[in-house]
Amino acid sequence: MSREARTDAQEKEFDRFLDLWSRRQFVRNMGAAAAFSVVALGGLEFLEACGNATSSTTGTGGTPKKGGHITELMFSDMQTFNTTISGDDRSTLAQIHVYDGLYTINAKAELYPLIAKDLPKLSADGLTYTIKLRDNVKWTDGKALTSEDVLFTYQLMWDPKYKKVNSPRRSDLEEYVESITAPDATTIVFKTKKVYAPFATAQLQYGILPKSVYGSLTPEEINSAPANSAPTVTSGAFKFVSWKKGEQVTFARNENYYRGAPYLDQYILKIVASSTAILDQLKTGEGDRGDLDAATFDNAKGVDSLQVYSVPQLSFVFYLYQLDKAKSALFQQREVRQALLLALDRKAIAKAIYFNQATVANTSMPPASWAYNKDNKPVFGFEKAKAESLLDAAGWKKGADGIRADSAGNKLKFEMLTNAGNKVRENILVNMQQVWKDIGVDATPKFVDFNKVLVPALKDNRNFQLLLIGFGWSVDPDQSPVFHSRNAKVGGFNGMSYKSAELDKVLDDAVSTLDQKKRKEAYFKMQQIIAEDQPAPVLLFNNLIVGVNKRVNGVVVDTFSGRRTYLKDMWVSDGK
Amino acid sequence: MFLKYALRRVVASIPVLFGVTILAYTLIYVTAGDIVPGLELNPSIRQEDITRIRHNLGLDQPPQVQYLNWLGVGYVLKQAGAWPGEPSKGLLEGDFGTSIIDGTRVMDHIRDRLPNTLELAVTALLLGILMAIPLGVTGALRRGSRVDHFMTGLSVAGVSIPSFWLGLLLILLFSVQFKVWGLPWLPSGGAQSSYNGGDALDRAFHLLMPAVVLSFAYLAVWSRYTRSSMLEVLSQDYVRTARAKGMGVRRVTYLHALRNAVIPLVTLIGLELPGLVSGAAITEIVFSWPGIGRFALQSAIGHDYTTVMGLTTFVAVLVVFGNLLADLLYAVLDPRIRLS
Repeated sequence: MSREARTDAQEKEFDRFLDLWSRRQFVRNMGAAAAFSVVALGGLEFLEACGNATSSTTGTGGTPKKGGHITELMFSDMQTFNTTISGDDRSTLAQIHVYDGLYTINAKAELYPLIAKDLPKLSADGLTYTIKLRDNVKWTDGKALTSEDVLFTYQLMWDPKYKKVNSPRRSDLEEYVESITAPDATTIVFKTKKVYAPFATAQLQYGILPKSVYGSLTPEEINSAPANSAPTVTSGAFKFVSWKKGEQVTFARNENYYRGAPYLDQYILKIVASSTAILDQLKTGEGDRGDLDAATFDNAKGVDSLQVYSVPQLSFVFYLYQLDKAKSALFQQREVRQALLLALDRKAIAKAIYFNQATVANTSMPPASWAYNKDNKPVFGFEKAKAESLLDAAGWKKGADGIRADSAGNKLKFEMLTNAGNKVRENILVNMQQVWKDIGVDATPKFVDFNKVLVPALKDNRNFQLLLIGFGWSVDPDQSPVFHSRNAKVGGFNGMSYKSAELDKVLDDAVSTLDQKKRKEAYFKMQQIIAEDQPAPVLLFNNLIVGVNKRVNGVVVDTFSGRRTYLKDMWVSDGK
Repeated sequence: MFLKYALRRVVASIPVLFGVTILAYTLIYVTAGDIVPGLELNPSIRQEDITRIRHNLGLDQPPQVQYLNWLGVGYVLKQAGAWPGEPSKGLLEGDFGTSIIDGTRVMDHIRDRLPNTLELAVTALLLGILMAIPLGVTGALRRGSRVDHFMTGLSVAGVSIPSFWLGLLLILLFSVQFKVWGLPWLPSGGAQSSYNGGDALDRAFHLLMPAVVLSFAYLAVWSRYTRSSMLEVLSQDYVRTARAKGMGVRRVTYLHALRNAVIPLVTLIGLELPGLVSGAAITEIVFSWPGIGRFALQSAIGHDYTTVMGLTTFVAVLVVFGNLLADLLYAVLDPRIRLS
């Protein structure tokens, strides 16, 4: 009895773990290239078409009341308050309450100044970012937050003397940053080595740490400093109260917050064990906000006390073809790759497996991105007959056993990998097996261990023929990690070993200009090339489902749910 | 005598503890390898950073070296200059070191969660004992009666109903549905209310459902043991002798027979002692209880070597201690048993 129970619980845990990394991306590196081109011109106006991100503000409006609390439910515990070493979205979520960064992201996917006074001023060559800080930002110990603190925080992630600090951003910063200087107490200057469009969106949002606390520690000590689990000196809208591990993190109003004190007395992050528990606690009112499973969307909608939102995310589910000739001869022809996609009824998958909380993908760019082309061509619908004729024309004829083979005798027979325990992905592969069988393709699903088999297959040994996985993106639309040929090397995410000189150039050009229009054109081109070539077909864009108690006002539910401009503006109508 | 026996048992358990840690290390290495928890599949994190962090954490060392580093052997040999890398003090620090995921001391993690787990498990244990013994005795005294049949049914249910299922069912009924019906409802999870909670009454409300679920399995098994053991004892000569001497039924049953009948139960409960810490994992997950069992599972899935090793060793020590305690209790309960 208990073994079954444990397996079930593990699956949930596992799904959560997967969920965590797939959603982590856009939470960590929020930014807004949309606002960016305006910055390049030195202006501050908002750009009109900055994306397809949608947002809703919770509550019924009315006059905000002071007092009360909001309890947000999350699956797994945070790890650290140290913004320079964290790589998980739960930690980021906790950190934003106590440590403000230079910027954050708003619902329109725009860079939103926090500690910075306004958007960065760019030099004419596009290399130097000059950022003015507000002069009224205070740490909770009363001292001013200055450029010294900002400089120190970035040194932890970038300066060679802090190599022992476990920062996952060091290589990026080393590649792009020439120097970071603080000419005066309210100015910080980043000089970059080359024009790199995603820089601001990726690197200017880490919470600034107090030098007075961390400055005297050795790099090793910084990795396990007491302040990592109990910050004493903070700058955010809330103050740290307590972190009961595995139970809850409690924050209280920062009366002296430089942008105005929040309405709430307390903000609580409560850790529960599963998505079932989140739904239960939303229903009973033990929790006020939480992410839900797509499967429970309708159920949650039926609860009077809840508002339920389904918002697009910057993530997708896709499968990779093995394009390395030495490993597989099956997917070399573009027609084969297209035909297999055409044979899939993705609307049915969205309905049956994602409970309609996902949309069919016609491009590799998630719809929430400003670079999304909704009219991307070619479009691949559910066209079985066309799929069969494409395969016939490409020389893959059905044999006596009903399985297609080419003239060299290669049978269209292969294994499909995904991680065991992820029911959604397992179901997709089973569906693919069935529909492909109809067109003479013998594909066998194989569910493997995530860490021991699937990740190495994707990144290192590339031992697979077809592999299904999910992926999360940052706000910047650069898709080089998956589609650029340079990332076909060991350790990169181009697991299919796709190499297109044309696409490489488009991707490189797109990040080396700060002209928003040019970037958008480049990404439209990129989407077209990828759709034609189909090296790794994107099946669906899955939505994020959020449930919020109706007593909660002022929460903006959007694609970028991990970055919040509205912390001080939230209030509860019952004042409790 | 007593002390010597206890000491010998403790010394004899040292190889066992080593075996457990080696096995645990091998298992986690086989499942996790040198993966850096949480970073491997993040497209914005480069291979170079992963490699550097892996090196900082010592995960690029061969498994046997990592194990010896964890033991603290690496640190000692390093002082003599005969060891690669920069090992931490490992076990020599005395508190299982720091978690490789969040940098918190493993002992702090345990200290944070242990009280919650003990609160839940001890309550369940007491509930189990308090109900199992009277039920078992009643079943034995009235063998074949309705009460006995009911008890048997309850035991079968207790053993066969998975605790996660029972837990979910109780939550649905007493939390969600009661709330919908406007009745007083029980909290569905956690050890206390997140906002302004934490007083004794609040904690008791939170404790009720998980404790009942956890005790249900105990109750089922223990009442059966008590029943059969009681039956056996009741048929023995000394019980008949006592009755023949004119001693009252109650006195014989509860004073003489019961004392002997609960001996096997003591073993079982002794064996549950480590289970107190680790065995409540499923109940803890269902009720989002912030305890050790749930934490251990999360750590294992997150490939947090140091934490898993720390927890395993901690629980292994408890197993040894639990067994020892059960043995010692034997002697107290049954003077015929001599410790030697």
